Amino acid sequence: MNKLKIKKSQKIACVLIILVAVIFGCVGFYGMSARSSQKGSEILSSMRLQAILDTAGTGAIDAYVAAEKAEATARVREEGGGMTEIREATAKAEEEARASAEKEGIGSVDLSEIDTVPLAKALDVLATAQTEYFEEESAAQAAYIEEHADDAAVESAEDIAAEEVPAEDMGGEGAGEDAGADMEMEMAEETVDLSEFEATEEMLALAEKVDEAFNGLCEEIKIVFPALTDDILATLKDTILNTVSQQGDTFEIQYDRAYSLSGLNPGMTGMIMRQGRTLATSAVGLIILALAVLFYTPLVKKLGIPRLVIGLFYIFLCLMAFIYNLSLPGQISNTLVRLGMNGVLVLAMLPGIQCGISLNLGLPIGIIGGLLGGLLCIEFGFHGWLGFLFAIVVGMAISAVTGYLYGMLLNKLKGSEMTVTTYVGFSIVSLMCIAWLVLPFQSKIMKWPLGNGLRTTIGLQTSYRHLLNDFLSFKIFGITIPTGLLLFFALCCVLVWLFMRSKTGIAMSASGANPRFATATGINVDKMRIIGTMLSTMLAAVGIIVYAQSFGFMQLYQAPRQMGFLAASAILLGGATTSRAKISHVIIGTFLFQGVLTLGMPVANAVVPQSTISEVFRIIISQGIILYALTKSGGDSRG
Amino acid sequence: MDKNKMREFARNNVVTMMFIILCAVCMVFSGYSPSYVMYELFGRLSRNMFIVLSLIIPIVAGMGINFAITTGAMAAQISCLLVLEWGISGIAGFGVAVLLTVPLATLFGWLIGKLFNKMKGQEMIGGLVIGYFANGLYQLLFLFIFDNIIPIKNPNLTIKGSTGIANTMDLSKDGGIAAALDKLWRLPFHQAVLVFAGIIALLLIFGYVKSHKKNQKRLGIQLVALAVVAVITQFGPVKELFAMVNVPMVTFGCVAVLCLFNVVIMRTKLGQQFRAVGQSGTVANASGINVNHVRIIAIVFSTVLAGWGQLIFVQNMGAFQTYGAHGQVGLYAGAAILVGGASVVRATNVQALLGTVLFHLMFILAPAAGKNLFGDAAIGEYFRVFLCYGVIAVALVMHAWSENARKKKAAAGEEK
Repeated sequence: MNKLKIKKSQKIACVLIILVAVIFGCVGFYGMSARSSQKGSEILSSMRLQAILDTAGTGAIDAYVAAEKAEATARVREEGGGMTEIREATAKAEEEARASAEKEGIGSVDLSEIDTVPLAKALDVLATAQTEYFEEESAAQAAYIEEHADDAAVESAEDIAAEEVPAEDMGGEGAGEDAGADMEMEMAEETVDLSEFEATEEMLALAEKVDEAFNGLCEEIKIVFPALTDDILATLKDTILNTVSQQGDTFEIQYDRAYSLSGLNPGMTGMIMRQGRTLATSAVGLIILALAVLFYTPLVKKLGIPRLVIGLFYIFLCLMAFIYNLSLPGQISNTLVRLGMNGVLVLAMLPGIQCGISLNLGLPIGIIGGLLGGLLCIEFGFHGWLGFLFAIVVGMAISAVTGYLYGMLLNKLKGSEMTVTTYVGFSIVSLMCIAWLVLPFQSKIMKWPLGNGLRTTIGLQTSYRHLLNDFLSFKIFGITIPTGLLLFFALCCVLVWLFMRSKTGIAMSASGANPRFATATGINVDKMRIIGTMLSTMLAAVGIIVYAQSFGFMQLYQAPRQMGFLAASAILLGGATTSRAKISHVIIGTFLFQGVLTLGMPVANAVVPQSTISEVFRIIISQGIILYALTKSGGDSRG
Repeated sequence: MDKNKMREFARNNVVTMMFIILCAVCMVFSGYSPSYVMYELFGRLSRNMFIVLSLIIPIVAGMGINFAITTGAMAAQISCLLVLEWGISGIAGFGVAVLLTVPLATLFGWLIGKLFNKMKGQEMIGGLVIGYFANGLYQLLFLFIFDNIIPIKNPNLTIKGSTGIANTMDLSKDGGIAAALDKLWRLPFHQAVLVFAGIIALLLIFGYVKSHKKNQKRLGIQLVALAVVAVITQFGPVKELFAMVNVPMVTFGCVAVLCLFNVVIMRTKLGQQFRAVGQSGTVANASGINVNHVRIIAIVFSTVLAGWGQLIFVQNMGAFQTYGAHGQVGLYAGAAILVGGASVVRATNVQALLGTVLFHLMFILAPAAGKNLFGDAAIGEYFRVFLCYGVIAVALVMHAWSENARKKKAAAGEEK
């Protein structure tokens, strides 16, 4: 890069953004530091105090009203009235009591009028005790979850299997045979049932401390509200404890809760304190954006617009995850798992692109071979490494045959491979839907308990589920590294890389890059294309087995249909074109694509709870990237 | 020579013939009575024909099957939502929806045309991907923009307890536009035939008067044939066969008008340009036609027509799946036109109409036949999905095949 051409407008925009970023950053860091300072903690604790006193006040009014009511009832009864009169009298008494309580100000208290120092002190003691307790509790729960994770996985798999109904109602015309046209890719969450979780001794000790602190607080509250009795305070205990602190609290959540319950106006400082983290994080984001604006031209040249946009989007998601306090290590381990599990499928695109058949959207053909391998493995009852190897070998053998036939077909259709392969893939997937119904498999794991055919998802816990994931996996900084999975992916990459550097591989790339030249140098282009297609199909078979072992299930029927598109968009995102691809494109693309997906879902759920917006973004990103690549590839060649 | 011609004909129509045989087999095994099948068939034809006809112009313009007509369907559904929101009911609401669809679909079509110009030769796969991509944007619009940023006041349209547009859009409630077009004028089948025969006869005579050749013999044969068809349907078993059919005259009228439009536009200057571009972009360019512009116009036409077709579809159904109704439009329409014998480079009205008939006949019969043959309705369902994709795949393979053979022949010819 000898000379950077930076336009004036770019410079101005950059300076402006940086200015905003600096302001945000300063305010944000001020807010962050205010949290631990005297003034900051005062604001929070006064809001918290007000909230608790409000609660206690309501309790006080209730106590007062109850007393009045009891008195009224007793009075009426003395006079010898019936039930109706009692009811009337109590209603009247309640009304009067509430009115008088309001007038006398029994339930409400102004913080400035009373001595808050002992109250605040008691509150602080309680808050610290609770924080300690929750730390202990979550640690103990995490340990419990780890201990019982395996049982839960099996259980949840069984649940899923039990919930599915064999009726494959695909709806009539109009409804479409599959409304979304996309399969659900999300990992089945493995939740551990905590109902049998028992408190540890440390927890019990800490809980006692909390109780003690609470009693101390009660004494203080009683001074403010003499009407309160111990009984009422005991009923209010949960509410007060929840107000002060909850499990997994962050500063923001505590602040919001105290703010909404107390109705106090915390003023400017409070606002800044609340948003401090958000502002500071936005500042970092803005600085990155400013740099991107400044170096826009070289970046676009180097990365291309889509990769730049998605890359920035990924950074944006990371920052959002930080703002919303999502556990980053968990997300990273998820991303790593998904990298390994999808990597081989994406890698399958590479030989296809290199040998000149462009994006192999007929990937489902290979996937079906792999699925058949997996099914046979279960059918014969293999498990563990033997089963895994058996599935791979059988899958590769089947898809070698289909790949050869498929390659022959593609040789007849040079120039319009993509359209044809898509529809050939689609029609084979739907043909196999019939096959899954009629194939004579016997294993009970795979068949519907009632009716014909195989289940839509087949659990792999009896065969080779998580075999690679758990192989040599270890934890570092809270990140679980699925060593076996990554190693396997790396092994596949190295093998393909070596093949690409062999004589055949180079001949294949040459026939893809320039068929005429290749023919002239004596390369049999048709043969090379068949080899490339076969390799692509076989890798797809391996890919789906790796995918299934990591996912824990094999998905039949409509599920393989869109996988070609997902793999294509991943490799294109990595920087490949429809005619050129490298191993690095595979790795970068898969990581970026899966990273955006894994991070996108929790972030989207934090922003808009219970929404499918991340699913929508997945569609837009994956299809948009293919579209972009198509516009680049077609060109005006056929003017 | 005759044998060659026969072979040529067979090769061009293999899909159609296969389908006719399949339909016959399914008809035997389905166990449905013919009059019920006819009733079902006419219901489906009235709502599907229009959209299939919208595929013809891009095929003629050399862009293959426009799988991006899903965006036209989306435009129609957006306007449907707005009409429901404004509470315009009946035929007025339908009219407003038709008018609203035009600018929306034109915009979409223009954008798609621009994209297609950047991927010449890959339009079909491009159209498919555009359809998926647009589906993402559509979901974004309906789940997060409507009812959040653009407020929707009609409570029936939104998801209760959450934001976004409800899963099903019911047009048959008060203020809906269900059957707005269909119920304008309905006739039993035999009367409908008379009306249409009369109109066709008038048109034929009009054409005869206008034309310069004055081919009396041809006119005579056409008129007599028409009269025979009209008479046959009035009596006996044929009338029985169509006894359950109640023809929505205006809907079929629209289909007829579109057929006429497709014929007429090919005779205008624009139509000639479509054809020229379709045959060879380079030649068209050399003869001074703005190729890219013509291609965009073709896609705009197709998208707008598909939008109208989708409106006809939803008003006939009376309700539609908000997030699924558009998804399969391109697939079904594309498969239907190919079944009729069209290829990715040539298509006519007759092929489109015949294809729709056969394709939907298959749709009605396959599940029942599957159930009776294999004891499982799901097999029939999957079989018909397979047919949809399979038909398209076979047509594409055959086209690419013959194209490559032709190229090779041309190359061999050059060498000599």
